[in-house]
Amino acid sequence: MIGPSIEIKGSVSGDEDLVIQGKVEGTIDLGAHEVTVGESGRVNADITARTVRIDGEVSGDVRGTEKVVISKTGNVKGNIIAPRMTLEDGAIFKGSIDMDPGESPAKVSLAPKTPGAAPAAPAAGSGGDKNPGLDLKQG
Amino acid sequence: MSEQQSSKLLPGLFDAIAEDQRVNVLNIGPALPETVAFFSGSGYRCKLFFLDLFAELPLAFEPGDELTVQQRMDELMDFPEGTSFDLCLFWDLFNYLDEAAIEAFMDCLRPRLAPGARGHAFAVHNTRSPQQAQQFGIVDVDQLRLRPRPAPLPGYAPNPQARLQVLLRGLTVKRSVLLAQSRLELLLQAGG
Repeated sequence: MIGPSIEIKGSVSGDEDLVIQGKVEGTIDLGAHEVTVGESGRVNADITARTVRIDGEVSGDVRGTEKVVISKTGNVKGNIIAPRMTLEDGAIFKGSIDMDPGESPAKVSLAPKTPGAAPAAPAAGSGGDKNPGLDLKQG
Repeated sequence: MSEQQSSKLLPGLFDAIAEDQRVNVLNIGPALPETVAFFSGSGYRCKLFFLDLFAELPLAFEPGDELTVQQRMDELMDFPEGTSFDLCLFWDLFNYLDEAAIEAFMDCLRPRLAPGARGHAFAVHNTRSPQQAQQFGIVDVDQLRLRPRPAPLPGYAPNPQARLQVLLRGLTVKRSVLLAQSRLELLLQAGG
């Protein structure tokens, strides 16, 4: 978890689920895992994950290879790509939603940004010892 | 309190969509849960574009304004290069735009209409038809959800039906249905 007092600028990647209650600016790529932006989470970044749930604020493009959920407290400004999408009553969303069921999750490229990079490298940096599967790269 | 309403013309929007066709949908208004859920569960290969022009009302030029209505519309309808729309959900937008604003809107939209694109709108048969402060979402191919608007919208001045048809250059009225309180439901098609 990225706690409420944590601020990260850079890229976040890894091989486990992630809950964000703090601030993140940059990119978030959790590949086959789940990202939750908690109610106090403030994200100014593109997010890629299997499932993305947004209870807080996101400014950026969101790709959920399985599903994206914007909850009643969520506020998103950006474009969403996901085969399934839920917008709860009260959610605020500005942008576009690309939902193409012809593109199954297995076909979506989850390649790491750096060719040959290990996707599950142990992390150094904020909260690293609590999140051994996360890789935080300073931007 | 929201209510559900059946629609005779909404199914006509989806008639022309071929199996496996990728469809771009323009929804004029805020993203509502039922519309997102409908398309998410529909199996259509679609991309939804939400443009809440209702939040920009009144879209009329006032002395002292920096931008003309056309310039404002150009800024608001700044879609990615190459985007064209197959389905347009206008809801009751045209009841809140004057002639200049409808022309500006259509000037922006016309080049972005895919061949045979279809649209759905509410208009009036009688311009004294009362304002309906509702938002619309799609529950099913023939069912709408009507939600009360948080606040009344400014600029309600519906255009006469015949005049609206002229102003919607690029779209023709394929079918219309008279509803209660002299309201009209319109199924529109590009290529007129």
